[in-house]
Amino acid sequence: MNVKKVSSIATAVLFSAIVGGFFLGHVLSPDGEFTTSERRRLAQFPEISASTLQSGTFMTNFEKYSLDQFPLRDSFRSLKAFCAYNIFGQKDNNDIYETEGYLAKIEYPMKENQITGAAVKFNTILDTYLQDAEVYFAMVPDKNYFLAEKHGYLRLDYDRLQNLFFENLSPDFQVIDIFDTLEIGDYYRTDTHWDQAKLAETVDRIAEGMGFTDRLTGAYTENTVENFYGVYAGQSAIAAEPDTLTYLTSDVLDGCTVTNLETGATTVYNLDKLTDGSSMDNYDIFLDGPAALITVENPAASTDRELILFRDSFGSSIAPLFVEAYAKVTLVDLRYLSSEYLGDYVSFGDTDVLFLYSTTILNTSEMLKVK
Amino acid sequence: MVFSGIPFLYFFLPPLLGLYFLIPGKFSWGIRVKNVLLLVFSLLFYAVGEPKYIWLMLGSILSAYIFAQIIDRLEKGRGILLAVSIGISLIPLLYYKYAGFFTENINSIFGADIPVLRLSLPIGISFYTFQLVSYLADVYRRRVPAQRNPLSLALYVSFFPQLIAGPIVRYSDINEMLDHREHTLENFSAGALRFVVGLGKKILLANTLGELCDLYRSTGEKTMLFTWIYGIAICCQIYFDFSGYSDMAIGLGRIFGFHFIENFNYPYMSKGPAEFWRRWHISLGSWFRDYVYIPMGGNRVSLPRWMFNILTVWFLTGFWHGAGWTFICWGLYFAFFLVLEKFAKPVIDKIPVVLQRIGTLFIVMISFMLFDAATMADFVRNVGNLFNFANLAGAETLYYLRSYAVLLVMALIGCTDYPKRAVLRLAEKTGTAPVMQMLTPVFVTGMLIVCTAYLVDGSFNPFLYFRF
Repeated sequence: MNVKKVSSIATAVLFSAIVGGFFLGHVLSPDGEFTTSERRRLAQFPEISASTLQSGTFMTNFEKYSLDQFPLRDSFRSLKAFCAYNIFGQKDNNDIYETEGYLAKIEYPMKENQITGAAVKFNTILDTYLQDAEVYFAMVPDKNYFLAEKHGYLRLDYDRLQNLFFENLSPDFQVIDIFDTLEIGDYYRTDTHWDQAKLAETVDRIAEGMGFTDRLTGAYTENTVENFYGVYAGQSAIAAEPDTLTYLTSDVLDGCTVTNLETGATTVYNLDKLTDGSSMDNYDIFLDGPAALITVENPAASTDRELILFRDSFGSSIAPLFVEAYAKVTLVDLRYLSSEYLGDYVSFGDTDVLFLYSTTILNTSEMLKVK
Repeated sequence: MVFSGIPFLYFFLPPLLGLYFLIPGKFSWGIRVKNVLLLVFSLLFYAVGEPKYIWLMLGSILSAYIFAQIIDRLEKGRGILLAVSIGISLIPLLYYKYAGFFTENINSIFGADIPVLRLSLPIGISFYTFQLVSYLADVYRRRVPAQRNPLSLALYVSFFPQLIAGPIVRYSDINEMLDHREHTLENFSAGALRFVVGLGKKILLANTLGELCDLYRSTGEKTMLFTWIYGIAICCQIYFDFSGYSDMAIGLGRIFGFHFIENFNYPYMSKGPAEFWRRWHISLGSWFRDYVYIPMGGNRVSLPRWMFNILTVWFLTGFWHGAGWTFICWGLYFAFFLVLEKFAKPVIDKIPVVLQRIGTLFIVMISFMLFDAATMADFVRNVGNLFNFANLAGAETLYYLRSYAVLLVMALIGCTDYPKRAVLRLAEKTGTAPVMQMLTPVFVTGMLIVCTAYLVDGSFNPFLYFRF
């Protein structure tokens, strides 16, 4: 048998084996429900009916299904990421990049209308509800602030962002600058968020600005959860080393009563999230993850002062560190609770109010439900 | 459904291949059964993408079948029947593709208020209409006899490899193959190789360069350097997108025993616009030559008439690509350079070949910037940005240049025949042809797996020529 014939046979067999093998693999393997790497539900086999066939929606949904349920899906995504980085020399894959051992997502371009829109929305909350309160604002830099410029990645112009935002924010907000209290080491390598155990300086800066330093002891016990794969670990599809998730406990926090009307959670840290399959993100142990409204009541407080924290997900892990300084902390997430209903659920008055928002949210402020 | 998608690759193709090659091909009934199977799968291929328009295509085929039978049998009045049959074949194309354009322009010119039709274009209508027209014309010219078997004619028109994006296969090129074709291991293997080469061009190069073009379109930083990057990227994207799809079509045809004409021949190696169009979308260029330009008299006419012929052909070529003024201008833009090239040939011939090639590439790049522009104003602005020395580059430009540099270099090299020549020369000089031969299955496997990885990673995979 000559070489050409052997080559032809091998080509035909391999080609047929690949297309046929994955066809059978797809058809015979059971469909998955979730993708933990991307933290979402997988598309299921679409409904077949005369109307879905006629309208073309069956085929559209079938394409999504065939992609989501493809055998060895995560391995294929990893191969794609490998090729993008190492063969085609691309700097990022699906906007995720790795540098200094950290995974980060490019946040670009800066949307000026979103930045000014955020300020306008916060001003609206101030005017509507917070006339009698002491109101503070602290901006949380995303990881790109520390990584992008140094390594040649696209980044927001953070100076311009701050200038633009604070120019439009009401002067009644007292601004607390926490940028210089943070460094890249304070963030998880594989996640967007910061590490609660490394926020002492940031908490001190905010406490100093808001005047509750004397009510903080800072006495906590560090607890860890191994093998924490943050949100970027799955999105990047590269083999990232897991982080160690840290959460701080104390007798005060243990004695607090948490009220989360959506989930019924009653503790500051919901460790059930690690094992009961209700969450695909271990960061959700902090105050039960994303929630419109949560209150934390501290029976051991030395004051009757209350704090209302308007926040994004960064607030979940830093809020417990404010708790010992207040009798009650109310966390409001305007992404899930529209401002027009705030008065129905939150008692405003002579309280401390802190707006704590990351630059990422400010650049996509359309998601804040403020009317 | 497109070839470069999971549903086609891993749900449509495997059962078809399995069934097709289970049917013995050595007997004449085997070929007939294979043809029926191909027809059924081709209609299924069309129906899943465009269920409501399948009857339109079948109606067009039936009409052409009946008219061809009559034209073939008649001695007199055949010309009128040809005109009527071609007119009927063109009606769906004119209605679905151009009705909106015409009403918009009539409204605009005459201040009328005719409701503008916003119709979705039936997939592949521009391609299969041209195939039907060429079939009718060839029957009229007695180049081919009318096909007696309606199923064979339906298979010729609806055969899925060339149905939605060409090449525009002539009936005269494959009528013999409909009844007599060889199914060999060599054909299957060569077809598979050609298919994955096309798949790689489409998925790895065209789609990724498409992302770069999207970045340019959406950026506020339209610097001079970024505009040049965009210009190069859009040329490469369109080339790899379309030639990749043609490769896949030719490869699939070969797997099933059909030999389709080549559609591209390294067009970016051309030394002038005329040569470019002899190498670019060959099946379309030759269709217009044989069914429009030459019947109008070609170049064997007076100078004004020749100019008119050229303008007509290139107006229609642009208009075929899309119902919009940018497409018409795109066609006429080439007409201008073809005429210029014709008259200035003595001068052009004195220019060094390398400069002729660079000049051609520049003309083509500008043409594809026009092709890609949403409006003429966008096009003018983008061309202006090519020479905006006051705004050379910015952070975004440099980032994307770094991120896409390897891909751009690969794409630019891939547009030439240098890699092919290098491999052949290496095999010849070192006597490694057998090794190269044995690497073919490795290449096919690797490319298929990597392309699958890219498909699985992304869920959005539009095909540029899908709606033509």
